[in-house]
Amino acid sequence: MSSKQEIFLRLDGISKSFPGVKALSEVCLTVKKGEIHALVGGNGAGKSTLMKILSGAYLKDAGTIFVNEKETEIGSPRVAEALGISIIYQELNLLLGLTVAENIYLGRRPKNALKMIDWKRMNADAGALLQRLGIDINPRAKVSTLSIAQQQLVEIAKAMSIDARLVIMDEPTSSLTTREIELLFALIRRLKAQGASVIFISHRMDEIFEIADRVTVMRDGCYIGDFDTKEISRNELISLMIGREMKQQFPARNVRLGEELLRVEGLSDGKKIRDVSFSLKRGEVLGFAGLVGAGRTEVMRLLFGADKKHGGKLWISGREVRIKQPAQAIKNRLGFVTEDRKSEGLVLTMPLKMNVSMVAKRKVKKRGFLNMRLEREVAEGYVRELSIVTPSVNQKAVFLSGGNQQKVVLAKWLLSDSEIMILDEPTRGIDVGAKRDIYEIINRLAGEGRAIIVVSSETEELMGVCDRIIVMSEGRITGELTRGEFSQKRITEYAVGGIE
Amino acid sequence: MKNESLNNKGTMAVLKRIWDSMGVWMICILLFIALSCASDTFFSSTNLINIVRQIAVTGIVALGATYVVLAGEIDLSQGGIVAFVGCGCAYMIVELGMNPAIAIAISILFGAVFMSLIGAVIAYLRVPSFIATLGLTYVMDGAVLLLTNSQPIPNLPSGFTAIARGYIAGVVPIAAVILLVAFIIGALALRYTSFGRNVVAVGENKQAAKLSGINVEFIKVASFAIAGACSALGGIVLAARLGSGQPSSGSDVSLMALAAVFVGGASKGSVMNTLAGTLIIGMINNGLNQIGLEAAWKSMALGLIIIVAVILDVARSRRLSK
Repeated sequence: MSSKQEIFLRLDGISKSFPGVKALSEVCLTVKKGEIHALVGGNGAGKSTLMKILSGAYLKDAGTIFVNEKETEIGSPRVAEALGISIIYQELNLLLGLTVAENIYLGRRPKNALKMIDWKRMNADAGALLQRLGIDINPRAKVSTLSIAQQQLVEIAKAMSIDARLVIMDEPTSSLTTREIELLFALIRRLKAQGASVIFISHRMDEIFEIADRVTVMRDGCYIGDFDTKEISRNELISLMIGREMKQQFPARNVRLGEELLRVEGLSDGKKIRDVSFSLKRGEVLGFAGLVGAGRTEVMRLLFGADKKHGGKLWISGREVRIKQPAQAIKNRLGFVTEDRKSEGLVLTMPLKMNVSMVAKRKVKKRGFLNMRLEREVAEGYVRELSIVTPSVNQKAVFLSGGNQQKVVLAKWLLSDSEIMILDEPTRGIDVGAKRDIYEIINRLAGEGRAIIVVSSETEELMGVCDRIIVMSEGRITGELTRGEFSQKRITEYAVGGIE
Repeated sequence: MKNESLNNKGTMAVLKRIWDSMGVWMICILLFIALSCASDTFFSSTNLINIVRQIAVTGIVALGATYVVLAGEIDLSQGGIVAFVGCGCAYMIVELGMNPAIAIAISILFGAVFMSLIGAVIAYLRVPSFIATLGLTYVMDGAVLLLTNSQPIPNLPSGFTAIARGYIAGVVPIAAVILLVAFIIGALALRYTSFGRNVVAVGENKQAAKLSGINVEFIKVASFAIAGACSALGGIVLAARLGSGQPSSGSDVSLMALAAVFVGGASKGSVMNTLAGTLIIGMINNGLNQIGLEAAWKSMALGLIIIVAVILDVARSRRLSK
């Protein structure tokens, strides 16, 4: 049957580079009319980049796009819209203060003879459209009163109102409940029945096999293959997503584990995070793996008292502690190198030295007052110890490179005598040399008897630096591996929710 | 030829460096020289002392505003507090016969406690400070009218009015000493205490401050408490200068103080820059009078000069942050 279907979209040899990165390398993708096509790949496989090229947000460097078998250039979002290609991003693009109908017809509201907005017609049109799509939402309702799932349906309705022939959905189910997902799938099937095509990006194997007709696999910016979902098994798909051997770029671990330093039991936030329990020993490097949105950062924020806990107990060195504020976490010798160093780790407009002493100001005081000389010397000590490249410790943090910024954040927590260091994506966006430095620092800190938690989306990195890896999926721990058991395949299996 | 242009470049670079490091104080000095040249009467000891007395109230209030602005908030209610405390202090002394020293202490304490309550509403209930303090301005206006029955409270004793009118050793105005001492304490506290550092951290990056264990809400409340205490002190000095509690006295103090803060460029995290900003505004006000400009023109000139000063400062800091 599929061979009879006409092809709507064909991408051939699409390449795209960003400074320093080859994001896409000769990628192919074929989507037939009335087909639900899944696009899968690990973090950084290039799925989002490819979709942005399709929607006109990025320009391709090379390759050809055929729409209805006609070669086409998609130079801007407007062109994509005219071709009937519509994209729904993970973060919804609705204006919360406006009504459903206004959002659907944003920028092209129907006007009456007086050039005023024709509210009656707009609401009637929106109502008819929603009904045709089987969406039970009042077009006059304000978007802010709708659930996330309903908002997603409005986005789809908006896409259909411009007569979309292809709707791209980037992880549409990541914030939906099971029931809401069913609703969404019903609508996707309806789109299919009406002859429209859907590109469905998801990390969830269940969903892919439930809804998609075909699936294209990408890895590291390359096209790996496309398959009929009836002819490929879940395990085959996962191993295609992983591929590649590991390179030796990590310092050797020399583990000497001490007594238990941290124990967490039944941590939850009442929303996403459920029943997270683990423990951590002195000298240990514990990794947290999982897909983007699995809830790893949320767990760390709960642990550190940055967000409100709904349940769960913490023990540090065998003593139960209550941590409701970061200040209490710091008192209990926790340190948190956040995922986003610019907005959460540093005060960019302050000099390097003030960022270093931000947490442990008491250490640069004499007779109760901050001592500028002492502060400078302390900072200079860390600049040498961590090989931070900077003209002086008076340099504002904003002028440092990513790797050096990260080292300043590390210095801040080292000065405050943190024994349990949480590093959330410690090497994101920093160059290879600085990465290796960070790995060595992690190794050394563990060697000094501290306990380290590393959250990373790069599985290789975790396998290189950790003694043990906990894998999370959808707010829960789905697996745990010790160093001897490490494998990309098993981590990915756990990360997509395990294999039945 | 080439050499000359190189030399020129060298001089320019030096001037640029001086300009960058002095910043707003440079504007202050240039303005001082310009006004001294433009008017015969500007550069005289009587007039200069006069300027200092005129700016004392704005300056003290602006010191408090600096802390609030550094902490990332804004306080529009300072003028209201100035008027209320000025009248309240006069009321306690004249109507209740209270010892002026006790009345002053109560007034300052009131300013600090009252504004920390408002600060708590802003920090914990997350009411935008612009709106909370705007609303408070009207509340204070009403409170002043109730307290004074819309009439001035005259006949403040000379012991009290000496705060603004008296001199130490016959030459140094007491008001100037209060202003300077307040600024020195304010500047040292900002630079050498954890609290000062935390204020700047909270204002620059609330998230990072919170995750560094800083109690963001407390810092905001404390900044408002400082602003309240400064407003109260300003109100006392103003009442002393006028010799009475004047219900309508604080009307433009809030905005003048904020103008001083922004002309000084509080974004650089310096209290002393606010002092420069205050001096600039004080000199313009006074200098334009000396030149004999009409009130209407003076007002327009003042506004334009404030805008130009900030344009210069923004250009400077943008260049520095490249």
